[in-house]
Amino acid sequence: MNTLIHVTLKGIFRDRVFQGIMVTALVFLFIPSIASLSMRQVTELSVTLSLSLVSFILLLLAIFLGGTSIWKDIERRYTFTVLGLPLARGGYLLGKFCGTALFLLLTAVVLGAATFLVVSWSSTIYPAARPVAWGTLALCILFDAMKYILLLACAFLFSSLSTSFFLPVFGTIALFLTGNVTQQVYDYIHSSAGAALSPLVKQSATGLYYLLPNLSAFNLKVNAIYGIPLSPSGLLLTAGYFVVYISALLSVSVLIFTRRELR
Amino acid sequence: MKKAIVFLAISLMVYLLLIVPFANYMRTKPFVEKLGYVPTVAAVKAASADQKEFVGALLVMKVLMYFGGQIDKQQNKLPSPPDYPAMSRMIHSAVQLDPYNMDAYYFAQAILVWDVGKVEIANELLDYGMKYRSWDWYLPFFAGFNHAYFLKDYAGAARYYKRAGELSGSKLFKSLAGRYLQESGRTHLALVYLSAMEKGEKNQAVKKSFRTRILAFQEVRRIEVARDRYKAATGVFPDTVEVLVKEQYLSPPPVDPYGGQFFLEPDGRVATTSKFAFAAGKNAANKNKVQGER
Repeated sequence: MNTLIHVTLKGIFRDRVFQGIMVTALVFLFIPSIASLSMRQVTELSVTLSLSLVSFILLLLAIFLGGTSIWKDIERRYTFTVLGLPLARGGYLLGKFCGTALFLLLTAVVLGAATFLVVSWSSTIYPAARPVAWGTLALCILFDAMKYILLLACAFLFSSLSTSFFLPVFGTIALFLTGNVTQQVYDYIHSSAGAALSPLVKQSATGLYYLLPNLSAFNLKVNAIYGIPLSPSGLLLTAGYFVVYISALLSVSVLIFTRRELR
Repeated sequence: MKKAIVFLAISLMVYLLLIVPFANYMRTKPFVEKLGYVPTVAAVKAASADQKEFVGALLVMKVLMYFGGQIDKQQNKLPSPPDYPAMSRMIHSAVQLDPYNMDAYYFAQAILVWDVGKVEIANELLDYGMKYRSWDWYLPFFAGFNHAYFLKDYAGAARYYKRAGELSGSKLFKSLAGRYLQESGRTHLALVYLSAMEKGEKNQAVKKSFRTRILAFQEVRRIEVARDRYKAATGVFPDTVEVLVKEQYLSPPPVDPYGGQFFLEPDGRVATTSKFAFAAGKNAANKNKVQGER
């Protein structure tokens, strides 16, 4: 499996994905000057912009690498060669997933370093009213990476089902959008404003809330931008949620992929 | 190959012909269109997924850019009042996306309060912000000023100033609250407040707007001093500002940078037809012009 992780990582680098990221990351250079347009919160705005850029790049990676890697292997007929080796299908899927997740983590580390540079640059030119919470900023990027690894697992689940890349790519985008609003919807239906809704709508929304990934839990941007304290128990719970949810997703993916007919 | 080069040359030529009128069209496009319409907050919240803070900052930037363009046009006296309701709506959406965004509160306080006069709405916005930015003394400072200066609710102002004092650890706010208790000190305190705000401002458009307001208040102050001198000499308040100019109490004659006319209220207070805003000044000037033509 280690070989497979290694091969997956190498394949991603060979496809020049990393160079693409580096070109997109050039936008970081403009962040301090854009942030200086702010009236009262230059440092905060540069944190906002940097974190948004990191999130956006990781999102693209999760959707496209996750949605296309299995499909591409099947299309190029690599899968048959690899599966001809003494390797279980489950192992193949998990290896691909771990390799891609590792690449996402690596990208998050590199972009995180860029964020730290940009923010420290901005904060020396226009000192913030409150000192930058560096620890929270690092945790925010880590949890962002976790969120997109979770999304990557969703993309792998769709990939294990589908014969083309349409379902994995669009399914993952849809899941990303819904995963970010489930908490909002849940809060709404359980507030006084949601009292008028029919019980059926309420129950199905609650059911979906528990079933779909809750991505808003991983969003620590507000804490990182404005230095708002984090709750350690909340973070632990979120990390637990990440591990359990991802294990469930991968188990289902492996189950489907091993039963699938490959032609 | 040759064909491709010819095609490219033609495309480039057409592009050069087109780009100037295109850029002109974009420049003169009406402002409302440029500011655009923001869908309901719930829709924006859902669509912005995990980028709520970014979208919030984007909305504030949009308002700021629009305002920057407007203030230049206004000083060139172009007849289009800024779309304040749209600006206000956008600011409200921004703080619902990111309730911590200080730029939004600051802009509402710096521009919307003075130019639109929606003090109650601004105070609601500030109260909302204080729930989140619980460390920030600026918000209670703004709210205190609004209560004292605009609403003349001195007890409310004192409460906010106390909070601002606690948060900043500065004793200044106590004395501010005390001084506001007198009507006579209003202009002076508005000047102190505005000068402090102007000093800390980086954004040129907002700074310019502060500077204009300071100029207007300096003129008010000048008229007040002349009025008091007149009263001390004659025992009565002058009827009009023109009397002060005519009898050499006020020289040179006061000029309202917003294009309005200063006048004295029956109780002796100095006011202006522009109400310290460009749009109102222009309307008043137009009205005068129409009346003059009749």
